Amino acid sequence: MKVKEIMTPEVETVTPTTTLRVVAREMKDKGVGALPVVEDGKLIGIITDRDVSVYAIAMGHDPQSTEVQKVMTREVYSCSADQDISEAAKIMEQHKVRRLTVMSSNETLAGFLSVADIAPISGELAGAVLKAATPIH
Amino acid sequence: MKVSNLMSSKVEFTTPTSTTKEAARQMHDEHVGALPVVVDEQLVGIITDRDICCKVTATGRDAGWTKVEEVMTKDVVTCLDDLDTSDAANIMIDHNIRRLAVLNHQSALVGFLSVDDLARCSYELASSVLEASRTVH
Repeated sequence: MKVKEIMTPEVETVTPTTTLRVVAREMKDKGVGALPVVEDGKLIGIITDRDVSVYAIAMGHDPQSTEVQKVMTREVYSCSADQDISEAAKIMEQHKVRRLTVMSSNETLAGFLSVADIAPISGELAGAVLKAATPIH
Repeated sequence: MKVSNLMSSKVEFTTPTSTTKEAARQMHDEHVGALPVVVDEQLVGIITDRDICCKVTATGRDAGWTKVEEVMTKDVVTCLDDLDTSDAANIMIDHNIRRLAVLNHQSALVGFLSVDDLARCSYELASSVLEASRTVH
């Protein structure tokens, strides 16, 4: 089965200069835990609810004025929309992550693939990803 | 296998009157995504990195002034430490969650059991939990 059949098609993105307050609002309203950061049509990072609270708030940055680029993760792991889900699961395992950005054939952002998307298709693959992932309890 | 064999038993906690900024700092330092809220050894709630992002930052509140008790989840789903792990997984599935607080027979908090812990004993159980909790990407 291909990644594009089970991924969450990407809808919302933020820019590097969006403030954390706006990002937090977006995550709350959309019920998501991560948003891709895009500049000039190119994916340059990812920001998660954990980045907002555990990095920005914990360090005393003002969410009203702090921009996404200050706390976003620049190292983004991706797979391609046409790849097989078993290969995508291997990429997650290798990098100890639970989520990948999905790129289309013309190198634009196509969506997200999380371990929860894989679970209904293959318990074996999802379980292996979880086991390898860096534990955040 | 019993819950006590799989759970993480190192339990760092916060208190209802700590600030959410202090809680965020603690999550950062201890590499955790959730902290139990404890009064006199009894569990009174749980606070996650997502709570701080969505209930404090998103709504424009000041984390330096907002107390843990204002945003914590009070109805914490728990299980007993001598429960079988498959029964614990079923509790997670019933409540669409990925983490349980573990209590002993004296009702004291002794650990946490997460879907990652389950993956170490059964890919199948861990996947079922993930599938049921598939809400936040």
